[in-house]
Amino acid sequence: MVELKNVDVHYKDGGKNGVDALHNVNIRINDGEFVFIVGNSGAGKSTLLKLLTREIVPTSGRVFVNGYNLSKMKRKKIPYFRRSVGMIFQDFRLIPDLTVYENVAFVLRVIDKSNKYIRQRVPYVLNLVKLNDKAKFKPTQLSGGEQQRVAIARAFASDPGLIIADEPTGNIDPALSYDIVELLKDINKCGTTIIMVTHEHDLVQYFGGRIINLSNGSVAFDDYIGGEEGEDEGE
Amino acid sequence: MKGSNFSYLMKQGVVSVWRNRMMSFASFCIIMVSLLLISLSLLIVADVNIVIDNAEDKNEILVYVSDADQTDLDAVEQKIKSNSYVANVVFYSKEEAWEHQKAQMEEYAELFDALTENPMPDTFRVTISDLSKIETVKSDFETIKGVDSVSAPYDFASVLVSLRTTLGIIGGAVLIALIIVCVVIVYNSTRSSVFARRKEIGIMKSVGATNFFIKFPFFIEGMFIGIIAGIVSWLLTKLAYESLVSFFAGDLTIWQILGLVNVIQFSDVMWIALAFNCVAGAFLGAVGTILSMGKHLKV
Repeated sequence: MVELKNVDVHYKDGGKNGVDALHNVNIRINDGEFVFIVGNSGAGKSTLLKLLTREIVPTSGRVFVNGYNLSKMKRKKIPYFRRSVGMIFQDFRLIPDLTVYENVAFVLRVIDKSNKYIRQRVPYVLNLVKLNDKAKFKPTQLSGGEQQRVAIARAFASDPGLIIADEPTGNIDPALSYDIVELLKDINKCGTTIIMVTHEHDLVQYFGGRIINLSNGSVAFDDYIGGEEGEDEGE
Repeated sequence: MKGSNFSYLMKQGVVSVWRNRMMSFASFCIIMVSLLLISLSLLIVADVNIVIDNAEDKNEILVYVSDADQTDLDAVEQKIKSNSYVANVVFYSKEEAWEHQKAQMEEYAELFDALTENPMPDTFRVTISDLSKIETVKSDFETIKGVDSVSAPYDFASVLVSLRTTLGIIGGAVLIALIIVCVVIVYNSTRSSVFARRKEIGIMKSVGATNFFIKFPFFIEGMFIGIIAGIVSWLLTKLAYESLVSFFAGDLTIWQILGLVNVIQFSDVMWIALAFNCVAGAFLGAVGTILSMGKHLKV
C-alpha cells in the first residue's frame, strides 16, 4: 500500500522563498491497483517519485510505502525498503557491458539471491517479457521497446510488491508504447501494484483506470475513467 | 552474504582494475615506488644501525686510576657500575698495561728496563649503553674519588649520534610524505572509478544495494592494486639492495673499517620483506579507497 498524508515538499533554491514542489498532497493506493500519474512539467511528478523511492523526505506530512514509514526511515534501512519496489525508467538504465540475462541477474545479486535462484528466476521473467531468445544480446543490440522490456523484466525479477514506472514509454516508438503498458497490466494481474507516470494522454485514455492528475504541486484530479481498451474488445 | 555473491563482488573488484586501467596504473606506480623507497630505506637504516652498534661496542671510556690500592680500586669499580648508562666494565691492571706496552714496543726494551717504577695507571674500560650520554657519563666519572683522569672519544660519538638522529628524521619525513602521496593518488583513482561506474552505482542504489555491496568492489580494487605493487616493489628492492651490497663487497677494507661485516643479507629477510610490502601495499590501497568512498558514495 502507498499512502501520502498531508505531504508538503519545499525546495530551498537559495532565494528567500524557495519552491513549493508539493502542497498538501493526500493519496492512497491500495495493493494490486494500477494507477496512472499525469501532469505537466513542473507539476510535481518527479518529486512524488523521489518521495516514493526515499530519495527525499517530505518537508511535512507522512509517506508510507509497503509498510515502511519513509518519513522516519533510518538511512541504513533504505536499501531494504528499495528491494520491495521495482523501478522502470524512461532511459531504461541498463548496464551496457552486461548481456540481457546479466542485467536481470544483476538485480538479484544485489539483493543477495543464490546462484540457483538466479538460474531459475531470470529465464522465467525473460520469458514473461518474450525476450528469452535475446538473453545473450547486449542492450545496444536491442530496439528501444526491447530494452524497456528488459528493464521491466529487471524490475519484476525480485518480485516486488510495487513497481514504479517513470515515463516508461517516453523513449520508444509510440506504436510500441501500448505493448509496454499491456505488459505492465499483465504484471499487475499477478497482484503487483503499478504506479506509472506518463504525459501521454492518448495512452491514459486508451487504457483508462485510476488517474491521478497533479497540477502545481497539488492533486487536481483523482478518479477512475473508462478506457477505450474495453470498448475495442467489445466492438 | 552468500558465497557466490561474495566471489562475484571480488571478481567485480579485480575486473574494475582493468576497466579503470589508466588510474589503476597510476596508483600502482606510486604505491610501488613508495614501497620500494620505504623498504630500501628500512634496510639501509638497519645497516647503519648495525654500524653504529658495532662502533658503540668499540667505543670505550677509559677511566685511569693512579696510586690506588685494591680497596680504592674496588670502590671506584662499584661507583662506575652504579651509573645507569654503564653496559660493561673491564679492569685492566697497571701490570697488564705495562706488559702490553712493552710487548708493543719491543725495540725499546732497554729503555723500559731502565725504568724502576711502572708508569702506567690502572684502567677501567667502560662501555656505555647510550652513546649520546657519553659526555654526562664522563663528567660523572671525573667526580669519583681516586679517579685520576677520564678519556672519552666525544667527536666520534657525537658524529654517530647525529648520523642516527638525522637518518631517523629524514627517513620519517620521507615515509610520511610518501604515504600522503600514495593515499591522495589512490583517492583520485577511486574517485575516477566511481565516476566511470556512476550509472551502475545509480542502478544498484535504485534496486536496493547496501553500502557494503556497492563499496566492497572498490575496496578490493584498491587492495588488489596495493598487493600487486607490493610484490613488484619487493622484487625491485631485492635487485637494488643486492646490487648495493655486492658493490660495497668489492672493497672489503671499507666494510671492515665501517664495521659492516655483519650487514643484513636480503635472503635472511626476504619473506618478512614480502609480507611487509604486501600488507603495506594493501593498507595504502585500502585507506585511499575508504577515504574516497566515504565522500563520494552516499547511498
